[in-house]
Amino acid sequence: QHKQLSGVTSGCQQGGCLTCSDYNGCLSCKPRFFMHLERIGMKQIGVCMTSCPPGFFGTRLPERNTCTKCRSECDSCFNKNFCTRCRAGFYLHLGKCLENCPDGLIRSDTQRECV
Amino acid sequence: YEWSQDRPGPGAPPCPSPCQCEEDGMFIMVDCSEMGLSSVPASLSPLTTYLDLSMNNISEIQPRAFHRLHLLSELRISGNQLRYISGHALQGLHNLKVLMLQNNQLERLPGDAPWDLPNLLSLRLDANLLSEVPAEAFRGVRSLRHLWLDDNSLTEIPVAALDSLPSLQAMTLALNQITHIPDYAFNNLSALVVLHLHNNHIQTMGSKCFEGLHSLETLDLNYNDLREFPVAIRTLNKLQELGFHNNNIKAIPEKAFVGNPQLQTIHFYENPIQFVGKSAFQFLPKLHTLSLNGATQIREFPDLKGTTSLEILTLTRAGLSALPLDLCEQLPRLRVLELSHNQIEDLPSFFHCSALQEIGLQHNQIKRIESSTFQQSTSLRALDLSWNMIGWIHPDAFASLHSLIKLDLTENRLSSVPVGGLGGLTHLKLRGNTELYEAFSPDHFPHMRVIEMPYAYQCCVYGSCDSYKPAGQWDTEQSTNEELHKRTVAVYPVHADTHYDPDLEEFQLEIEEAKLQTSVQCTPTPGPFRPCDSLL
Amino acid sequence: LESERPALRAVIKVTLIKEPTGKPIVLEGLFVGGSAGKAEGKLMQYHPLSLCNNSEDDPPESDFITIVKLERTVTSCLPLLDKARMALAKGAQAVIFDISDDDHAAAELPDTDSLPRPVVLVEAEDAEELMGLVNKNEEARVVIEVKMESKWPFD
Repeated sequence: QHKQLSGVTSGCQQGGCLTCSDYNGCLSCKPRFFMHLERIGMKQIGVCMTSCPPGFFGTRLPERNTCTKCRSECDSCFNKNFCTRCRAGFYLHLGKCLENCPDGLIRSDTQRECV
Repeated sequence: YEWSQDRPGPGAPPCPSPCQCEEDGMFIMVDCSEMGLSSVPASLSPLTTYLDLSMNNISEIQPRAFHRLHLLSELRISGNQLRYISGHALQGLHNLKVLMLQNNQLERLPGDAPWDLPNLLSLRLDANLLSEVPAEAFRGVRSLRHLWLDDNSLTEIPVAALDSLPSLQAMTLALNQITHIPDYAFNNLSALVVLHLHNNHIQTMGSKCFEGLHSLETLDLNYNDLREFPVAIRTLNKLQELGFHNNNIKAIPEKAFVGNPQLQTIHFYENPIQFVGKSAFQFLPKLHTLSLNGATQIREFPDLKGTTSLEILTLTRAGLSALPLDLCEQLPRLRVLELSHNQIEDLPSFFHCSALQEIGLQHNQIKRIESSTFQQSTSLRALDLSWNMIGWIHPDAFASLHSLIKLDLTENRLSSVPVGGLGGLTHLKLRGNTELYEAFSPDHFPHMRVIEMPYAYQCCVYGSCDSYKPAGQWDTEQSTNEELHKRTVAVYPVHADTHYDPDLEEFQLEIEEAKLQTSVQCTPTPGPFRPCDSLL
Repeated sequence: LESERPALRAVIKVTLIKEPTGKPIVLEGLFVGGSAGKAEGKLMQYHPLSLCNNSEDDPPESDFITIVKLERTVTSCLPLLDKARMALAKGAQAVIFDISDDDHAAAELPDTDSLPRPVVLVEAEDAEELMGLVNKNEEARVVIEVKMESKWPFD
C-alpha cells in the first residue's frame, strides 16, 4: 500500500507539496504554488513550485495554479500568445518571436530581440 | 545548469556556502534555493549574474544587501516570508532585468523612496498581500515590460502607479478584489499588448476606461460581475482575443464590436444573454468562431456581413424562425452550423457552403427538404434533422452527399426516405417515424454500423433474426453498444466452468477480425414480442 | 437474463529494453469493457493530472503504452473513461491503469465498446512490478494480449 503523505516525504522532497506519493510525486500543491508535471525519461511526476520552469508559464485560478507550455519558439512567456524571451534564431518584438524583424528594426543576436 | 559546491577554479569568483554555483565565463550563477536560509548570504561576488534565493525563510533584506551586484541580471526571492522591501534594500542593482518576489507576504511597496531598477524588464509581485500600490511605487522601474500583480488583495486599479510604466507590454491584475475600472485607468500604457483582469469582482466600467491602450491584443475579463456589455472596448482597434465569459451580461448591443476589426476569438459563454443586436457581429473578418446559446430574445438571424472567415457558428435555443437565403454567400468558409432548438421552418440552399461538414438542425419545425437544400454539400459528414416535422424529402435531396456518414431523422413524419447518395452512411437513425414501414436493404448501406428503425421487423434484413435465440437470451433491452461485443463473445463463448482453451494465436486473430467486421447494430432488436414478421 | 458480460483478462509481457532477449516478465490484468485486443509499445508513465482537459504535453515519438497510477486523493478532473480516451487520443497504443490505491476506479468504468484500443486494469503484485520498473526508470517494451479465462476473481 503506497503511502499518500502530506508535506515532504521520500520521493517528493520539495516544500510546495500538499499531498504526494512515491510514484506520482506531488498530487496537490499548497495554496499559491504552481503544479508542474515533469517528465524524466519514462516517469512523469508532479512538482510544486513558486515559478514554472523555463519554457512554461503559470496560470493562477481560484481552484488551482498550473504550468502550461509556451509556444515552441519561446524560451519563456507571459501567456500562450506573449513571449518574453525567444529561442535562438528568433527575435522578440511586442511579445512575438519572429524570424525577421519589422521594417526599421534590426536583429540583435545577443538579446534575441528586434532593436 | 550543472550546479555544484566544488571549490571554484583559480581566479573564479567564490561560491557562498551553502549555495551551489555555476561558472558563466568570468561570471558566476548562484543557486541558494531551498536551503533554509534566513538572510541573504553576505559574501556574494560582484561577478554574480544570477542569484536564486527562493523557497527559504528570509523575512527581511538588510539594507545594501545587494549593493555590489551591479552585474546581477536575475534575482529570485520568491517563496520567502518578506513583508516589506525598502528602496535601500535593492540599491546597486543597476543591471537587474528580472526580479521575482512572488509567494511572499508583501503588504505594501515603498512609496517615498521607491526601488531604483532602471533596467528592470520583468517584475513578479503575484501571490502577495498587497491591498494598494503607492502612486510613486514604479517611478524607478520605467523600463518595465512585464508586471504580475495577480493573486493579491487590490480593490482598485493602481492608476497613478501605472502612469510611470510607458514601456509596459503585459500585465495581470487577475485574482484581486477590483470592483470598478475608472475612465483613463490605463491611459499611459500605449505599449500594453496583454491585460488580464479575470477573477475579480468588476461590476462597472467607465465608457473610456480603456482609452490609451493602442496596442492591446488580448483582454481577459472572464469570471467577473459585469452586468453591461463592456462598450469601452470600442477604442481597442488592435484587439484580437476578448474574453468575458462567466459574467452577468444580458445583452450584446448593436454594432458591439464595430471598433474591433482584428478580433479572432470572443469567449462569452456562461452569461444570461437574452438579446443580441442584429448588427453586433458585423465586419469581423478574422472571427472564426461564434457561439450563442439560450439567447431567447433573438428573433432574427444575425447580420454577419463582413464576417467572412467564420468557420463555426452555434446559435441554439433562440427564437429563429428563418435563415437568410444568402447565408452561404455571407459565410463561405462555414464548417460547422449548429442551430438546434429554434423554430426554423424553411431551409435555404447550402449550395455555396462547400466546406460545410456538420449541420445540427434538431428540434426545429422543418417540414420539407428540397432538392436544392443540400445540393453540392459534398463535404457534409454529419446531418442532424431529428425532432422536426419533416414529411417529405425530395428524391434527389441527398444525391450529392458523398461524404455523409451520420444522418439523424429521428422523430419526424416520414413515410419514405430517398437513399440515393447515402451509400457512405455508418449511422442512420429513423426511430419515431411511425408512418415509415419500408425495410431498407443492406445493399444500400455497405458501410452501415448503427441503424435505428421505427419497427423491429425492419432490422430483420440485417440478420438480427438469424441470431434470434429462445426466450431468456434476448428479452433484455440490450444497449446498442453491447451488440458488437456480444457477437465477439458469441463466436468464442466463455464458459466459466469449462477450460476451453483454443489456440491462442487463432483466438487473437478472431478477436481482431470480430472487431473489424462491420456487423450492423440494428435496433429495436426483434424478439418474442417483436417478431420478424410484421404484425400488420 | 443474459449474465453480465464476462471480463476478458490481459496477459502483459514486459521486456527490458536493455535486455531485449531476456526472459519477459509475464503479468496479468483485466480488459475494460470491449477493449480487449493486442497492443505493443514502450512503457510510459503519465501523472493522473496529465489526463485533464487543460493539460498538454509533447507525446513521445514512437509507439508507447501509457501507465497511470490512480490515487484516491487526486480530485478527478474527468471520468476515468474520458481519461482513457484522452490517453489514447494522445497516441497511446494502450492504457494501463494501476488501481491498487483507487478501489473505486474499476466500478467507475462502464461496460463499453467505444474504446478504440485496449485499456487494462492492474493491481497488487502485477501493478507493483510495473510501477517498480517505472520508479527505477527501467525502460521497457510491453506486449498486451488477450488471455482466455474465467471472470476476474476479485469481483
